Formats: sequence, structure tokens, C-alpha cells
Amino acid sequence: MTYRDHPISGGIAADEAYWAALEAGELRLPRCAGCGRWTWPAHWRCGRCGSWEFDWTRLDPAGSVYSWTRTWYAFDRTKERAADVPYVVVLVEVDGADGARVLGVLAGDDAGLKIGAAVTGTILPPDEKAKGYPSLVWSLV
Amino acid sequence: MTSPLRGATAVVGIGQTPLHKRGSAPDPEMKLCLRAIVAACEDAGISPGDVDGFVSYGSERHDGQKLMPALGTRELRFGALVWGHGGGIPGALGLAASAIVTGQAEVVAVYRSLAENAGARLRVAVAQDDTAAQYLVNGIDGPVQICALRTQRMLEADGIPRSTMFALARAAYHHAQRNPDAVAYGRTFDETVYEESRFVAEPYRLHDCSRENDGAAAVVLTSAQRAADLVDRPAYLLSAPTGAAAGWGPLEENHRPYSSSGFEAVARRLWRESGYGPADVDVAQIYENATGMGVAALLDHGFCAPGEAGAFITFENLIAPTGRLPVNTSGGNLAEGFLHGMTLVTEAVRQIRGTSTNQVPGAGLSLMTGGPGDSVVSSALLGSAATL
Repeated sequence: MTYRDHPISGGIAADEAYWAALEAGELRLPRCAGCGRWTWPAHWRCGRCGSWEFDWTRLDPAGSVYSWTRTWYAFDRTKERAADVPYVVVLVEVDGADGARVLGVLAGDDAGLKIGAAVTGTILPPDEKAKGYPSLVWSLV
Repeated sequence: MTSPLRGATAVVGIGQTPLHKRGSAPDPEMKLCLRAIVAACEDAGISPGDVDGFVSYGSERHDGQKLMPALGTRELRFGALVWGHGGGIPGALGLAASAIVTGQAEVVAVYRSLAENAGARLRVAVAQDDTAAQYLVNGIDGPVQICALRTQRMLEADGIPRSTMFALARAAYHHAQRNPDAVAYGRTFDETVYEESRFVAEPYRLHDCSRENDGAAAVVLTSAQRAADLVDRPAYLLSAPTGAAAGWGPLEENHRPYSSSGFEAVARRLWRESGYGPADVDVAQIYENATGMGVAALLDHGFCAPGEAGAFITFENLIAPTGRLPVNTSGGNLAEGFLHGMTLVTEAVRQIRGTSTNQVPGAGLSLMTGGPGDSVVSSALLGSAATL
């Protein structure tokens, strides 16, 4: 299974390298090759310096909870997670990326879940729940 | 500096079909749309064939050119959609005004029609296939979950009290009890009902969330000059800016400031262009896709400082006729019914006319804020002749 077989349209589509890296087991976020600014979500051009080049920089999957929600309903387009309801999704500020945030499901015990809590990420290979995409799941430290 | 659009156009007609439970409208979506536009024209004393401009927002499917044969349109001279979803409604009024002031159209209809298609949940259609993989891969489907993330931050990190969310919901249901056309008319609503409703996406319970209805609503605008000849109390459009500041847009939850509803820049323009400020507003229709986002919209528009939110955003302050800022006086998206906010426009106009079922006595300045948290947002300030 690879995300490339059933791509999700809808985003800006400049984040191909993010999913390719995750599928290879790495977290990578883009930095502008011209001015070094972390540019997330990914886009095609750096609006600050005008560069069209980005360095997809490897990061440790670690950060802190910026916000969270516990979903109690099996929504139409995420029915693959119906059996997991209720589940928690965290918005994580990734360490060392100038405040860039990514989403992910919270795995394991959620005691101590709060904004600011430290989390570490595990990269999962593509699976049904993630709609055939690789995914980053987070656990409270 | 005021805008050349200030007071140059006015809403002269409003039309609204009954609101039905999702999937139960007796008419298909386009027929509902036509009924609303025709009703707005009749209200204004304008022949439907005279409408020469058609403006809506987001995913509206009923382009003016599809409506022409049924309306008897002689010539379509202007048609456009404002980008975004519900964030664009008040901006649609501004776009209509731009067309009129520049002579591109004389009579512009702004409208929204919704009826659930067989087998297709509206929120899927509404999502317009612009939900990024970052969301769907991680169990986030729709707006309510995204709003939940932002509101959780507002509550937990910014310290805005949860009581503000209940106050907004309670005021909406309170107003609906005097509006026989509201879907929540006659429905009991109190803290027990609210707190015991099931969670949808924490911190949101069912009664924090707007739920789509079938129906249509429309307004008709024309020049201020013609408006004065047509109707007794035109609702003049004072300002209706659309936009997004840097740090806002489709940023996959990297918005800054995050617990905002995205209105800071638009609100600044609204007050500057209209020459009024939040303290001048008599009544407000605040688009609440979910209660906490409506609270954030009130803060973004400067009605109170964050530290005063608990004291200002109370049931007593939010109800007509006595509250400091009566909001959602027809019941709002939560309790009147949800047509992606379009019913808030018709109610904002009724307040200027003095015909709301929860009338604010002598209302002269009537605000409508668009879908909060959308990637672009807009707000509109309508005023009576005395406010020009």
C-alpha cells in the first residue's frame, strides 16, 4: 500500500515530499533554500525571499500539544476510524521547526492530555485508517 | 477613510423559504432558490426579470445563468462568487454593491439555496473537495472538528470561559421562541439540555453546533437613490469587506493567531470604512458554525477584550430588547436554522426595518459577521437612513 495509489486532492499539493518522507519512515518539513525559513504548510514559492527551492529537513518526531479535540462521531469521510470513536487528535508544534504544526491521532493513555504537554511521534506505514497514507501518531511523554 | 461604497447601495428586498429538516424540502434546491429570489423581488416591488446581477459565495450551485429563464431575466450583466465558504456571505453584499456602484448592474440578488441531494451529505458538498490530506489522514473530516481544535485553544490557553459558549447558544434558543419560523420554535432549551447533549468533537456538544437545513434565502440590492423610491426603510450597506491577513488562509492549522476567527483585519476595515465602532452597533447577527467560533468573532470585532469575555458575553447582554448587544435575534444558525448563514442577512435587514420578531427598538446599525475561521472572512454593517 502506498499513498500514491489513492491520492487525496484538496490541499495545495506542494506537500508530496512530506508524505514520501513519512512513507520512508522519516519526518521532514520544508525550509526555504534561500532564506532558511521553515515554510509550513508547504507551498511552491517562499513569499519572503522569492526562492522556489526548499530543503526538506529531517526532524525528530517530537513536540508539544498546541491543541486537541476528542471526536465522538464517525464523520463521513473518516469512517475508517468509526471503531475508534471516541478518539483524540492532537495538533502538535514540532520541536525545532519555528512553530510548525502537524496533526496526528493520539495513541495510548490520554491521562495528562493538555495544551503544552510533551509528545513523541511514531510513524506508521500506510493503512486503511489513514486512508492509505502513512501517518504520524503521537503519545504523551 | 470611508469607502466609495459606503451607503451607496441598500438592501430593498428580502426573501426566505420555510426551513426544513435536512433532506425533507418539498422542492429541489434550484426551485427553492428561485422562490427566495422571487420573494425578495416581490418584497422590494421589483420585477424578477429586472434582476441583472447574481452573487453568492462558496459552493453555491445555482449560477444566475441557470435561473434566467425562470426569472424572465432580460440580460444578465454581472455574476460572481465570493471565495471561501460561509466566510464570504457579507462580502457577497460588498461585491454586489461594487457591481452597482460601478454601473455593471442595477439590481443584484445575493442568495443561498440548500437541499440535500440523495445520498450526499451536505457537509461533503460544502467541503468543496478542498480538505487537505493533513486533515483526512488524521481523522479530521469537517469544519466542526477544526473549529473544536481552535476553540479548545481559546478556552484552555487563552482562558476564555466556557460560559460564553452556552450564553450564545441560550440567547439563540431564547430568540427562536418568538420566531414561529425557527426550527427550534417551541423547543425547550436550558443548561441541562445543553450539558446533557452528546459530544460531537470536544469541547463541542451537539447544541454548540449548527446543523444544516433545507431552504433558501435571498436579498436584493440596488443603488441608494433607487432604494429610497422603492421602500420605506432601505437597509443601507455601510461597509462589507472580505479578506485575510498574513498568517491566515488555508494553512492546515498553522494560523496565527490560532484561536482567532480570522476577522482582525476585516474588522479594522469594517470600522474604518463605515466610520463606526463596535460600541455603536445596535444589534448583531454572528455566524456561529459552532458557539466558540461565534465567541471568537465577537472578540475579533472588538466588542470586548479577551479578559472581559466572561462578563460581557452573557445571556442577559445578548438578548433583545434589553441586552447591551443582542445577537442572533431570529435564532441564528443554531436555532432559526442553518442555510450557511444566509438567514442572518435577512434578519440583519429586518432589524433595520423594525420587523424582527425580537426587535431591538430603534435599531440603526445592524452587523452581520460571516463564517468565522474560514480561510477568508467578511463582515457587513447595515444602517438606517439616519446612520448615513
